Amino acid sequence: MISFALISTRREYWSLFGVYVPIAAAVFAVVMVLVVGTVLRYRRRDRPARWSENSPLEASYAVVLLLISIFLMYLTFSHEHRVDTVANREHPSLTVDVTAARWEWEFSYPRYGIVQRSGAVGSAPLVVPVNEAIRFNLTSIDVIHALWIPELEYKHDAIPGSVQSQVLTFTRTGTFSGQCAVFCGLRHPEMVFVARVVTPAAFAAWLRSKRPGGAA
Amino acid sequence: MARPAPPAGQGSRSAGWIGGLTSTDHKRIGLNLAVCSLVFFLIAGVLALVMRAQLSQPDNHIVSDQAYTELFTMHGSTMIYLFVTPMAIALAMYLVPLQIGALSIAGGRAALAGFWTWLLGGLVMQSGWLTAAGPGRDGWFSYVPLSETPYTPGTGQNLWVLGVILAVAGMFIMAGCVLATIARHRAPGMALLRMPPFTWTALVTVLMVVGSFPVLIVAMILLYLDRTTAAHIYSGFNGIIDYQDLFWFFGHPVVYVMFFPYLGCAAEAIATSAHKRWFGYKAFVASMMAFSGLSMSVWAHHMFITGGSFNEFFAFTSTLLIVPAGIEYFDMFGTLIGGALVLRSSMLFGLTFFVQFLIGGVSGIFTASPVLDYAANDTYFVIAHFHYTLFAGSIFGFFAGVYHWFPKISGVLLRERLGKLQWALMVVGTNMTFFPMFIVGGEGMPRRISRYPQHPGWGTLNLIESIGSAIIAAGVLVFIYNLWVSLRTPEPAGSDPWQGHSLEWWTTSPPPALNFEAPLPPITSYAPLQDLREQAEDEAREQEPATA
Repeated sequence: MISFALISTRREYWSLFGVYVPIAAAVFAVVMVLVVGTVLRYRRRDRPARWSENSPLEASYAVVLLLISIFLMYLTFSHEHRVDTVANREHPSLTVDVTAARWEWEFSYPRYGIVQRSGAVGSAPLVVPVNEAIRFNLTSIDVIHALWIPELEYKHDAIPGSVQSQVLTFTRTGTFSGQCAVFCGLRHPEMVFVARVVTPAAFAAWLRSKRPGGAA
Repeated sequence: MARPAPPAGQGSRSAGWIGGLTSTDHKRIGLNLAVCSLVFFLIAGVLALVMRAQLSQPDNHIVSDQAYTELFTMHGSTMIYLFVTPMAIALAMYLVPLQIGALSIAGGRAALAGFWTWLLGGLVMQSGWLTAAGPGRDGWFSYVPLSETPYTPGTGQNLWVLGVILAVAGMFIMAGCVLATIARHRAPGMALLRMPPFTWTALVTVLMVVGSFPVLIVAMILLYLDRTTAAHIYSGFNGIIDYQDLFWFFGHPVVYVMFFPYLGCAAEAIATSAHKRWFGYKAFVASMMAFSGLSMSVWAHHMFITGGSFNEFFAFTSTLLIVPAGIEYFDMFGTLIGGALVLRSSMLFGLTFFVQFLIGGVSGIFTASPVLDYAANDTYFVIAHFHYTLFAGSIFGFFAGVYHWFPKISGVLLRERLGKLQWALMVVGTNMTFFPMFIVGGEGMPRRISRYPQHPGWGTLNLIESIGSAIIAAGVLVFIYNLWVSLRTPEPAGSDPWQGHSLEWWTTSPPPALNFEAPLPPITSYAPLQDLREQAEDEAREQEPATA
């Protein structure tokens, strides 16, 4: 029931991409064809025309442009509402506190007492279950970093002096790369991590393995 | 014709180097600013080539990580503070008084002081290379707290901050002089709605400079205090967001400062080479006003992922830019259709400006959508986007302007064949360099990394980008050779080689100290010389039946 309503940032991104990019490509193609066409048609003539204005036509064109931008805004606002507002109303099945520092990531699972560190200091992955809403609480202890997992088509800043929450959902299992997106100094390229997305059963097994006294 | 006496100190007082560097003649100041900017362009270009060499292979080790941070910081800072923006002001400084029939710039001494302040800023910024810790290394927007002393100690970053303050202050002063010239020194008959398209683009540009540059000066002074005293101004979450708001309140308008005058160059080059006046003048002026107004209200679209901006508002204003931008394209087609086109270098660069800028424009609408920006922000997608606006766009507009006005400024023609060769090299090089960046960015290659891992396709695409950058460099070398050969073996241009539309083509090439020796023609529209031509044509046609 809950999984039905889950918002996937990846799905939202590609659905919007599927509208924006074809429109952009079509606009570019039309302009390109018109430029080549007018250049071929009107080069090396003797008598240029003298007209230089057609206000009614131009005004109607401006209205068309306005309608296009309103259409794009409507799409963007509805998608953004889902990503930024609806997703955060979901009841997360897991909370991960993410603390960024130069040049490492600390993923802490407060309910389970687990801490994973990646980046310049190690490579313990972020492990999360698939198709479940996960709340990430983002902060930084020094400069601005950004948590970025390209698979999610989403990133958000980790800013010192604040804790910002975002509920995110992975829609497929696998091992995905993640990294800091905001330049944070010399070893910024090394501030990477791996996100391992597993089935809920495998996640439960992983939690058991991390419990003190559990299987190594 | 009665003319007001030139202000004291106006015109060339002494010849030679000293005279050239202390002249208050707007043409001399504009030319000095343009030449210095071009030198900074070459420096920034070399820095870019080193970066492209480093990135040509995965896990490459041509330069150290530390050197790479200096390279991208100084490449961006040099291009923005020391080339594209000052060159926009140099064009306005040189051309606006000529286009509006003014004898001189308003506040010539202030303009000269502005030029020297800017140049001092540039030298201070670059002097960081000589310090032990190296020059600025936090990127051209140097976000806090990274740019605070605990994270970036050293004199180089202080010099970077001081350099930005001086350079921006100098440009602010010069823009103020251009604005005052437009307000006070227009020739009789030159109503605001008779100013040529380039002058209109320059007017909205200097208005944006005057409105937004002081904010950066303040932001940088506060950063300097933070770095050198225990001021703690940009502290905590709010302090960090405040810096970004202040920076981008300058940083977005400056993007349009780096665009409008080059749009004006492309427009004038196209209209002149089409032998038809620029189409839709009133709509063009209105769209310029709307463009500049909107551009002052879009800044936080750089901050969608911070959680500290009102994303819907800034997405809305940014997307609305479709309307004024679309008008410019309509006007370009309106000018071309029915024209008598000559595909000379200025025309080719002008048309390419519009075509390539469009890629930057539509990718800008893409990143104006927060959901799409959450993926694209801080990746090579953004690098591709703004290089398509600034390099594939503005730089091509700049060269349209160079090929259009060089004969006026120097009195000699540039070589057409070399111009077309340069154009071809730059079109190929630009698209090879910047288009693959959309792909690697979409696949998750972050900006500002000196090394990237083995990833399917990235090595090849980055190598293509690096080869493209070398082709751009070849194009720039052809341009420099063209300048050299054209000045060394001059082909005199005459006062009006292209059948120009506006008043600068009325005077000699190069123009005399006080711009115009002959009385100005009647100024009846934004293309007074085209009016004269059409009038003469009509008279000739009327007399035809009589003589036949």
